[in-house]
Amino acid sequence: MKRASAMARVFLFLALLGVVFLGEGSAQPKTELTVAFSSFSTEVLDPALGGHIVKYYLSLMFDYLVGTTPDGQPSRDGGIATRWENSADYKRWTFHLRKGVKFHNGDELTSEDVKFSLLRAIGKRSTTGYAGPLRTLIQDIETPAPDRVVIVTKEPTLIIPTYLSRSLSTEGMVLPKKYIEAVGDDGFARKPVGSGPYKFVEQVTGSHIKLTAVDSHWRIGTPKYRNMTFRLVPEETTRIALLRRGEVDVADVSRERVGELEKEGFPIHYRREEAILTMWWVLGPNGLTSPVKDKRVREALNLAVDRAEIARSIFGGKADPAAVPLGLSWSFKDVGFKVTPEMAYPYDPARAKKLLADAGVAPGFSLDVYAYQLPGLPEGKTMAEAVAGYWEQLGIKTRLIPVDYPAFRKAWVDRATPGAVGYFNIANRDWIGAYALLEKMAYTPSKANDTVNDAEIDGMIAQVMRQTDKDKINALMRNVFTRLRGEHYGVPVVYLHSPYATSKTLGKWNVGRVMYDLFFDQLASGK
Amino acid sequence: MLRFIAARLFQSLVALAIISVVVFVLARATGDPLYLILPMSATEEDFANARRYLGLDRPYVEQYLSFVGRAVTGDFGTSLRARRPVSELIRERLPNSLKLAAFAMGISLAMAFPLGVMAAVKKGTGIDRAAQIISVLGQSLPTFWVAILLVEFVAGRLQWLPAGGIDGFASYVLPGFTLGWFVVAGLMRLLRSGMLEVLDSEYVKLARVKGVAERRVIWMHALKNALIPVITFAGIYFAILVTTAIVVETVFAWPGLGRLAYEGISSRDFPVIQAVVLTTAAIVAVVNLAVDCLYAVIDPRIRYAR
Repeated sequence: MKRASAMARVFLFLALLGVVFLGEGSAQPKTELTVAFSSFSTEVLDPALGGHIVKYYLSLMFDYLVGTTPDGQPSRDGGIATRWENSADYKRWTFHLRKGVKFHNGDELTSEDVKFSLLRAIGKRSTTGYAGPLRTLIQDIETPAPDRVVIVTKEPTLIIPTYLSRSLSTEGMVLPKKYIEAVGDDGFARKPVGSGPYKFVEQVTGSHIKLTAVDSHWRIGTPKYRNMTFRLVPEETTRIALLRRGEVDVADVSRERVGELEKEGFPIHYRREEAILTMWWVLGPNGLTSPVKDKRVREALNLAVDRAEIARSIFGGKADPAAVPLGLSWSFKDVGFKVTPEMAYPYDPARAKKLLADAGVAPGFSLDVYAYQLPGLPEGKTMAEAVAGYWEQLGIKTRLIPVDYPAFRKAWVDRATPGAVGYFNIANRDWIGAYALLEKMAYTPSKANDTVNDAEIDGMIAQVMRQTDKDKINALMRNVFTRLRGEHYGVPVVYLHSPYATSKTLGKWNVGRVMYDLFFDQLASGK
Repeated sequence: MLRFIAARLFQSLVALAIISVVVFVLARATGDPLYLILPMSATEEDFANARRYLGLDRPYVEQYLSFVGRAVTGDFGTSLRARRPVSELIRERLPNSLKLAAFAMGISLAMAFPLGVMAAVKKGTGIDRAAQIISVLGQSLPTFWVAILLVEFVAGRLQWLPAGGIDGFASYVLPGFTLGWFVVAGLMRLLRSGMLEVLDSEYVKLARVKGVAERRVIWMHALKNALIPVITFAGIYFAILVTTAIVVETVFAWPGLGRLAYEGISSRDFPVIQAVVLTTAAIVAVVNLAVDCLYAVIDPRIRYAR
């Protein structure tokens, strides 16, 4: 017994010694910024392969041809191009490049790099968000001078500068031609070189990406943080523990735990309406199928859903009801679209039942609802169950199909289960991003991804691309949104506000309104 | 002995060949990875391009032969998700898993040996009961729950130890303990029962009669003969800890092989799934062989047939 108690004392002593010893050295120097995220998506460092989801760290390493303010407006101060102009026929876009910009390996950035980067971004290997539309649109890229690049399009267009800006995907990122040609694609992906305010130090997949600041950068002056580390921490409890210990400065947190952190005094920065959670019906070979082919049924399904309750109870009040299918609200201001109070769907099961009766489907019908989790949306399945529950109350026999998202996506694009319902938390974006999305999801010629099949909307979307008068574009976009809402082409559920918790000393941070970008460079700005 | 090792190596190779077919088929049965890789706006042309570029448009037999042909040279292809050579990813992750498993096993052995032996020697006393409680808790508490609890309280609230990531010795303690505690229970019970059996044997009684010190009887004579099942258990569990610590690696943000497997499965990254499964199988085969060889070292009575 004596021996046992002596052993216990030794263990206790060692444990305390360990605590004292191990507790040392965990404080971060103030020149470091550490960000803990639940996912890095693909963890790819090559902009042509990573796509827009990984923009938040790529935007630190690379410069865009066209800069963007955190509010999503084109900026002559934030990109390689200091000015740009179009020809009278809107088919030649000339970009004047910033002089004296150097890549991290010392090579000067020229128009050849811009041309090389763009060709690479729209190449067949690329998986960026808008490679396809750009490939269709671009006819030629000319480099008349080292500080001038001309993009020639097949059709008159207004959208080239926006497509190559920070507000959309990664196609506008300028990469070092000579370096990539010397080390190859794989070498570049392993050790990327850009011209941004931070340069690559190391990547340990599944663990972290470490960047270090250049001495001074035209975009942000002398960076406030010498090093920036992105840590991959999938478990939220761990991210919060790291935040409490001061080991990280920024962490993405769930809507569920925001209250607890706020009580502890951690500032919460919201990306308001970061995504719209919207549902749609899988089309058949010729568009919507019965019974949702009937507008009254679509309206009934919308009226049956208590969006305010879903926002409150499933999303902890960190969401707002949505009224327009595919209604990417960051674009509304750009095009002058206003969601009127009449557009908001009331929760009105009685009227919904009447509409179903009018449509001749009063005893109800069967409806398959796909239920899956999505990245950044742990509440996905619960939301699907709740919506299905509301529809059950109308007498509709819903069948929840638990799958993973890719399985639904295949069923959707293959049109294998016409009439079934799926959903996605579509990242919010500006008007051109919204247009690009509508051109896939609400445009019949896009075939696979279409969710609408409406000749009137098809006509308007077809005009947007060729239109060079911004006022007319705005009017077309407004009309598209109005018709999407008026015809109930989907079930918009809520706009999601995404919370990011920061250390108590981090200070002001404008998380911005640009798709998948969090403007850490603004946070590090020494200007 | 050499013939035994050669035979076991041959068996392992056959097993690996069978596993390579099974994992190749099962990985593809999960669905098309392009629905995860390509953006929502991807066109049919984008799908066709990606399929061609990633080699997914070739017939399955051709894909399999190419996979096996390269795998024997240590080349597992390129990750569809990370777009890096899979062998590089394995090289990055495997050492982290080995280190964590070794640390966890160290903790397990350090706890299980004194507890198991003392529980047998002091059978029916408070020490024995305490050991049994530890054993029951270790095997019944879910690993993810223990891990979350440790992160929340020991790391987050008390701030005694790091919550996650690899950053020096301190970062090994919580994940190592979480992994190790589960193993402690099994090891301790085996040791206790083994010791009880051995302590009752004739040669131990004889040693006592001859006046050999009790400490020497227990730790030298008895323990050595109670070790065989313990070594088997520890060996198997070491391989398991290296390869399947998915929950612990996820909670503690530990970039190991288990998380790589999880990432591979959740993104339908065929080359990664195939490589991780084959590596895991190889580790299990090697550890089992090592354990078999150890038997002969520990117990000279054991000799493998010529």
